[in-house]
Amino acid sequence: MSVNTRSAQLSMRDALYEEPGPKTRRRIRIGTGIAALLLAALLALVVYQFWATGQLDPQYWLFFTQPTTWGFLFSGFLGTLSVSLSAAAIALVLALLLMLGRISGIRPLAVVCRILTDFFRGVPSLLLIYFFFLVVPQYGIKLPAFWMLTAPVALAASGVLAEVLRAGVNAVPRGQMEAALSIGMRPFRARMLIVVPQAIRFVIPSLISQLVVVVKDTTLAYVVSYPDLLQNARVLITNYDALVSTYFVAAIIYILLNYAINQLAVLASKKTGSTRVDRMTQNPT
Amino acid sequence: MGFTELWSTYGQNYIDALLTTWGMTLVCFALVMVIAVFVTVLRVSPFKPLRWLGDLYVQIFRNIPGVSLLIIVVYALPYLNVVVDYLPSVIVTVVLVASAFGSENFMSGINTIGVGQIEAARSLGMSFGKILRRIVIPQALRSTVLPMTNLFIAVMLTTALGSQVPLDPPELTGVVSYINTRSTGGILAFAVSALGYVLTALAIGFAGSRLDRKVRVLR
Repeated sequence: MSVNTRSAQLSMRDALYEEPGPKTRRRIRIGTGIAALLLAALLALVVYQFWATGQLDPQYWLFFTQPTTWGFLFSGFLGTLSVSLSAAAIALVLALLLMLGRISGIRPLAVVCRILTDFFRGVPSLLLIYFFFLVVPQYGIKLPAFWMLTAPVALAASGVLAEVLRAGVNAVPRGQMEAALSIGMRPFRARMLIVVPQAIRFVIPSLISQLVVVVKDTTLAYVVSYPDLLQNARVLITNYDALVSTYFVAAIIYILLNYAINQLAVLASKKTGSTRVDRMTQNPT
Repeated sequence: MGFTELWSTYGQNYIDALLTTWGMTLVCFALVMVIAVFVTVLRVSPFKPLRWLGDLYVQIFRNIPGVSLLIIVVYALPYLNVVVDYLPSVIVTVVLVASAFGSENFMSGINTIGVGQIEAARSLGMSFGKILRRIVIPQALRSTVLPMTNLFIAVMLTTALGSQVPLDPPELTGVVSYINTRSTGGILAFAVSALGYVLTALAIGFAGSRLDRKVRVLR
């Protein structure tokens, strides 16, 4: 889905309706009022349910005023960030290799890269984590928790990123490659120096929004007991016996982080002036 | 453990797991379509609070990690007197997350149509309902085939969350940990499940792109 259609989206939303006349305008006003009331009732119901079950009691929320709580959550947040960024960097390199292999024109290499790309796109990251957590140790390889999480997350992302990069390469006008060849560049050199840099520029917004998928995948950290944000939230729960409030706060932090990343992608697509090039392989895990 | 030994011991488990994954995927995707349409209707309705609710829904559920949501549904909601069984919990989680993406797909499908077509239809004297039925919905559906195919695959991959709660029978990811807690399945135990996912994904992708080629609106 293209992100930079935000403004177009609003105009399209409004274009569906005629410029309302006085009667319709009144009906819309009444409908808006009813909708607002329904919404308020819904919100009240949720708040009531929290209150009636005692989940709004200060004991469940007061420890969020202590700096140690936030310090602990922040150290988990740093864990999340370090896994996400490492996995994203590794995935980008792998994806570039897979993509270059696939468009290399060397038949066997292209087939292998295609199979690997399809494999990593078609397998849930949780299964890859189980592979590194349960299967790899059976062969006598002991990995630290960080790598048991980072490696599968990176592999899962590399398949999708390879496809995104390939879409970017396809979006570079053919004349660029032809021009490079006609001034005497070798095909490999032309691809690396002329096509790939432009392709990456095309897909920067998509690359940024793929970071959201990586961040989401890192929440599986508790499987390998790596201290990320969610894992630290669990520790807080055992300390303060405040399950509901802590899980909701953790979820909100994740939502805000991912929202920020998505906004960054929108900003990047405005700045590069490129519509987002991808195969719409959004993975909602 | 060789393949024949693995299959003779756990073959039935794998088949049950594959059927569970397929069943969950189909149920989830059907629900996702229904809810995505509903949310999209909210988002294009002329009532500001409903638009706002639809937008909020999409922003929350496309940004929340699936695990975080599953944990809330399974462990936090019972404290609020909302008790959901394990299998429905997984389905609810997958549906909430995927329907946000589904609604985004519908919205960008609507956006590809272009304001000019709506204006043209209106100047021909078509009513609002007729514009939706004849102009907007057919084109929006056609241009969302490919994104929805990818969403279908993504829904299947997301049902792997089912391995985080006790399901009977476990689904395709859960069965790997089930087998590995009983014997050393090695790389094969993992590969069988992975193959189940990959082949299903390829089949869905193949069917989706054929359908897309058939119905795509060429511009």
